[in-house]
Amino acid sequence: MKLIITQLIRFVLFVLIQALVFNQLEIGLGIQVMIYPLFLMLLPFETSVLVLLLLAFIMGLSIDAISDTYGLHTSSLLIVAYMRPIIFNIFAPREGYDTIKEASFFEMGQRWFTSVFGLLLLIHHLWFFVFEMFNMSELPLILQKTILSVPLSFLLCIFLQVIFVTKPKER
Amino acid sequence: MHNLIAFFRRFRIFMLFVLLQIFALSNYFTSLSFPRSQYISSASAVSSTILEGKNSVTKYWNLGENNILLQKENIRLRRKISSTFMRLNSRLVKIKDTLYQQQYEYIPGIIINSSCNKRNNFFTLNIGKKQGVKRGMGVFSDNGIIGVIHNVSDHYSVIKSVLTQSINVDVIIESSGAFGLLKWDGRDPKRGSISGISNDMKIKKWSKIVTRGGSGIFPRGLMVGRIETLKPIEGKPLWDVTLRYSEDYTKIQNVYVIKNLLREEQEKLEKKIPEDIVE
Repeated sequence: MKLIITQLIRFVLFVLIQALVFNQLEIGLGIQVMIYPLFLMLLPFETSVLVLLLLAFIMGLSIDAISDTYGLHTSSLLIVAYMRPIIFNIFAPREGYDTIKEASFFEMGQRWFTSVFGLLLLIHHLWFFVFEMFNMSELPLILQKTILSVPLSFLLCIFLQVIFVTKPKER
Repeated sequence: MHNLIAFFRRFRIFMLFVLLQIFALSNYFTSLSFPRSQYISSASAVSSTILEGKNSVTKYWNLGENNILLQKENIRLRRKISSTFMRLNSRLVKIKDTLYQQQYEYIPGIIINSSCNKRNNFFTLNIGKKQGVKRGMGVFSDNGIIGVIHNVSDHYSVIKSVLTQSINVDVIIESSGAFGLLKWDGRDPKRGSISGISNDMKIKKWSKIVTRGGSGIFPRGLMVGRIETLKPIEGKPLWDVTLRYSEDYTKIQNVYVIKNLLREEQEKLEKKIPEDIVE
């Protein structure tokens, strides 16, 4: 029960922070910061793909509704939800995942988090910008936006975890 | 039959993914030209309430600047009203003027949400159907044009701004009379381009670009921007014209929606043209 309430609060916070803060930022050079894939990343390891897909769908639609993107955020979040278990399997530690742990920067270690979340974020951003333009002649702009936005989003996601996600106690 | 059920079991996750994906993407692509519903947009009740709350905080950031703009506009208009002028000949009488008829009405509104960094940027306006806003009306501010109304709910509306892929506003270069369509390439919210200007026209840099007023959305002569660079396109008899918008789309707040009182008359007349002549 506690888990559901925590995730629900996180859900609302991620939607509001994304729609009202990061979607309003005008950094220039086509940079667009998107931090909401972190919500899917931080869900428990044993969450089924079905739940992931439905959560991604609702979350995407709520962000779309506020920022007038008509389903673009939904589409790119769905691909993250679909790819998450696949990528988790590829990068699984030898003894399997510890289900008590959270897939966060602190609990799973820098290397694991950087490669898994970096890959998910790259897929998400690339999908988002490709379908936003949907024009091969604008490929340089798509690549420019992706290459500039992914590192910034990634750094902000780590920063958000430093602030909001509780660190594991020293044992 | 058994095999079929086994097949669906195996791929049900993938099929759900594809189904949701089709819903999202088809909604995205159709909405660019025609919004299917107002519920997944900022004109809906929930998101407009959230945006209204956001706006009540952020509107103060550009308030000073916007007030000065409004004041400037007021002064310009004030110069035109009759009490500003001294009457030189008191024997003249007023007569009812039948030479002019009012064609455009303006509905004031405030933009409560905007963006400039996406490929297609939509702005949310705090007026809607109840105030007389309809789909397809033009929107402008004192500095320049903003866009066209794209989606309307009872109290809010969404503007398809000049910063979208397929805005295609008729514009005209004031000094030479050449006309073309306004485009935006998605890179810089300060610069746009005009397509379809033949390169045998002589065009000066920094000449004014205004609306052409052909389609009845915008009146003729609304400011759009000024020509910044001019290059010939290789292999085509056309100019590649880059313009600098006169409006700063990152800071707009006070806008006017244009209500064309003669729009229906114009549309009715244009429908009478037989289609084979147009082709």
